[in-house]
Amino acid sequence: MSVLPPFELHRPTSIEEVVELISWDDLPYVGGTELLLAMRAGLLNPRSLIDLKGVAEITGVRAHNGAVRIGAAVTHQQAATTEVISEKLPELPPVLLHVGNPRVRWSGTLAGNLCFAEPKSDVIPFLIALDATVTLVSADGSREMSVREFIIGPYFTARTEHELLAWIDIPVVPGRRGTYLKYQVMERPTVGVAAVRLDEGDSTITRVVVGAAGEVPVVHDVDHAHPDRSAVATAVVDALEPIDDLTGSSDYKRHVTAVYVERALEKLERM
Amino acid sequence: MTRSAGRSVPRSDARAKVTGEAKYAVDASRPEMLHATIVRSDRAHALIKDIDTAEAAAIPGVSAVITSDDLDGLFPRFGHIVADHPILAIDRVRYYGEPVAMVLAASRHTAADAARLVRVSYEGLPEVMSIAAALEEGAPLLHEERYDHGDESFGEAMSDDWSPSNIAHEVCLEWGDVDAAFTDATEIVETTTHYPMLYAYAMEPYNALATFDEGALEVITTAQHPYQVREDLARIFDLPLAAVRVTSPFLGGGYGSKSYTKVEPLAAVGAWFSRRPVKLALDVEEAIYTTRADSATVTVKSAFGADGMLTARDFQLDLDSGAYADNGPLVLAKAVHRCFGPYRIPNLRVRGRSFYTNTTPASSYRGFGAPQGNLAGELNMDQAAERLGIDPGEIRRRNLLLPGEEVLPGARPLDADLPADLEMVLESLDSSRPRGPLHGIGFGASASDAGAFPVSTATIKVHADGSVTLLTGSTEMGQGSQTALAQIAATELGVPLGSVRVLQSDTAITPYERTTGASRTTTLTGLAIQRACADALEKMMAMVSESREVPVEDVKTSDGVISIPGGGDLTFAEAVQDWFGSRAGEVTGVGIVRKADSTAMLPPFWEIGMVGVEVSVDAETGYVTVDHLATVGDVGYAINPALVEGQDLGAATQGLGAALFEQLIYDGPQPLNPNVVDYRVPRSRDVPRTIDTMLAERRDGVGPYGAKGSGEGALNPIGGAVAAAVGRAIGRWPDRLPLTPEYVWRLMHMETEAE
Repeated sequence: MSVLPPFELHRPTSIEEVVELISWDDLPYVGGTELLLAMRAGLLNPRSLIDLKGVAEITGVRAHNGAVRIGAAVTHQQAATTEVISEKLPELPPVLLHVGNPRVRWSGTLAGNLCFAEPKSDVIPFLIALDATVTLVSADGSREMSVREFIIGPYFTARTEHELLAWIDIPVVPGRRGTYLKYQVMERPTVGVAAVRLDEGDSTITRVVVGAAGEVPVVHDVDHAHPDRSAVATAVVDALEPIDDLTGSSDYKRHVTAVYVERALEKLERM
Repeated sequence: MTRSAGRSVPRSDARAKVTGEAKYAVDASRPEMLHATIVRSDRAHALIKDIDTAEAAAIPGVSAVITSDDLDGLFPRFGHIVADHPILAIDRVRYYGEPVAMVLAASRHTAADAARLVRVSYEGLPEVMSIAAALEEGAPLLHEERYDHGDESFGEAMSDDWSPSNIAHEVCLEWGDVDAAFTDATEIVETTTHYPMLYAYAMEPYNALATFDEGALEVITTAQHPYQVREDLARIFDLPLAAVRVTSPFLGGGYGSKSYTKVEPLAAVGAWFSRRPVKLALDVEEAIYTTRADSATVTVKSAFGADGMLTARDFQLDLDSGAYADNGPLVLAKAVHRCFGPYRIPNLRVRGRSFYTNTTPASSYRGFGAPQGNLAGELNMDQAAERLGIDPGEIRRRNLLLPGEEVLPGARPLDADLPADLEMVLESLDSSRPRGPLHGIGFGASASDAGAFPVSTATIKVHADGSVTLLTGSTEMGQGSQTALAQIAATELGVPLGSVRVLQSDTAITPYERTTGASRTTTLTGLAIQRACADALEKMMAMVSESREVPVEDVKTSDGVISIPGGGDLTFAEAVQDWFGSRAGEVTGVGIVRKADSTAMLPPFWEIGMVGVEVSVDAETGYVTVDHLATVGDVGYAINPALVEGQDLGAATQGLGAALFEQLIYDGPQPLNPNVVDYRVPRSRDVPRTIDTMLAERRDGVGPYGAKGSGEGALNPIGGAVAAAVGRAIGRWPDRLPLTPEYVWRLMHMETEAE
């Protein structure tokens, strides 16, 4: 059904107002790139939508306590072109500029992408690779958790009924290198591979996070700056639980995952 | 003055379309208009036991909930060849998405909400989801009665003998002694291919706005052939043609999918029932449930002599045509005509069958049966070349028909120089250059009996100020007819292009045009316009003769001026005003094209496809990149070269969609990907890296200045060309489209997997 069902629209200006309203029947939204489609398809039929674009506390990006804090209302395009991100997280903009298509990037948000927990998200694997955290705010207080913990399964997160994902913190780590490569034939990727290298004192960790091919991201850490690419690819594929869909059979997904893990690691080595 | 024809003048509709000012059917509205939403079958094959409309009808704002029970007094079906498609399902549904009921309400939202409350009870019937299932012994029959037949000019698509069967239609073609030729052959090469089920994605989905006013029906719709839609509507409501007005504004894409009647009967029934204007606008998903293109399994066996000359070909074409006939029978007939050539074949047999299945009805799609057969036919030539050790260009050179040769017995001889076109493509591909690993070239040819049944009329009005109105029933669907037809009129009258205004596709106002399809407009409508202009000029010369009292044979015209002896030159404005005696009046010229004179022989022209591609394949993923595309627009004469090249590039790109990505997939009774997220159409990044759109202008067509049609030709051989190129790149011949990365990867690793 292409027609949006009727709903009420709230336009609060503070987090306090938002958390008073929020529930499974009263959903926060910014771009609506995922939500409105779900509503048109009849999958969701909320009583009201809570527009976050007027909530000043969550509309910007700023440096905060050794991290970059991205507000819930910040679009991919806005984040990709914000100075503080270009300076402190130069690995992020190239990923954000390849999310979806221009319409999605200009209206969709990183926070919305996380909350929807679409298994083929480009953003989730990369944020996991960067050790990003989310802060969930409710009328009773707030809690922080890693993105990795936040994403429980396909379209399923740790957010509870009256919580707002208020912002995302991405730690700024000097010397960290990261890249994201995806293999995409259809409108959504077949596989997306985030690869990050970071120094931890005397050791170097290489982390690979694979999204899209399975229902939940696969995270694989190796205690080495230049790991054996084929061995990492094999380990990642062993942990992968791909499903057959229009982006490929599970056999093919295993194969291209290995290919793209190796390609991402190769790219990372040159960085 | 510069002649208008032959120049790449900018499209006259470009500014309006780019700025969003252009009006499409979907933009139309009327005061007091109701909005319709269709309740669709969620079964592929079932008996309707009950439709409970009470709850939906009780919603405030709902005017009516209509089912087939409410159509008393109407002819409840439509279909221009076989009138088999119920407007609303009668007792039974035959495909997922078939219209079962229609809700009319004051707003789209109310209509959509209420539609969800219509309860339909079904009793399931066994489903026929494939050709194999349709052929099974004891397979359930989709149709057990014989329906009325339509327009006699579709004769080639009608069969006389009929018995209930899931074979919707059969067409056979045979000459020579095929069996003997196979017995004597040096080499026999057999190829089987599968062409996918496609959806022609038009940016503007099907929609219509219908109004009943004083016993007359008016419908504004996104239809390619408003005059054909008018016929179906007149039959449904038992109205004279004069009482049915169908208007097609700019179409937001057609590609064949908007040929013939689609949603117009639904909107019209709504207006008839409610006595209010009714608007029905589908979304893409509903459009996919409305029409698709035939998938096909084609087997070809070719016999060759040692010299690489074809001695016989034997084709079996099986088309999956869905639940109702629509234009399927004609698509099959055309597929049969278009699969084997354009080669000299002494002995030929083609057996074509189209099957009823419980899927969306198939109908016209750009190329019209040609791409399905061409994939098999051209891959077969490539495989034969390999087997015989002959270069694939050379084997075609030896077998291609020459200008003037017979393609089909009794049909117009070939009006094109195919060997010359082939050399253009081979040169563009630099075909003799060695390619690296995982790189390959492919090319192919096709000739389609295009132009359709020739009936076109055009009207030219020269107004009292000398400006000109061109009236034509031909539809502007993005192909640029508004521009090209004005160029013909301006050239014929000798007036500046800017003084010609074109009004199109309103059955109450514009003169009759049978269809806008089969690449016919420039050729046939163009001819009608030439004749209308000649008629207008002749009338003006007669008027000048009378008003200036000079013998008519002394009156001449050129460059928009009418001259009389003694140096008196009259503008068109003066000629009109002199005769009427005031600043008033106008001169009307009429032009007619029918199956007579230069268009007595069918087809009006052969539409040529001659294309080549170079591809590269990713060794690890199987992803195919098209690095180079070459097309030859063998159009006789390009009235507007840029528009011809645009048509060729568009057709080729659409063909690349089917070659690489597009396929409508049924998962049981229901399409798995009825949306443009999961149904993958070409994007700008899929366009080949280098593009060489060439024109061959040999003035060998029957149309104005030697023109022939274009628009479909470049699509027809693309699938085969890409398949051949990928086959050469990876060393294995594909047998199906689309060449998805996974399919190509599997093909590359076939032996490994078998071990």
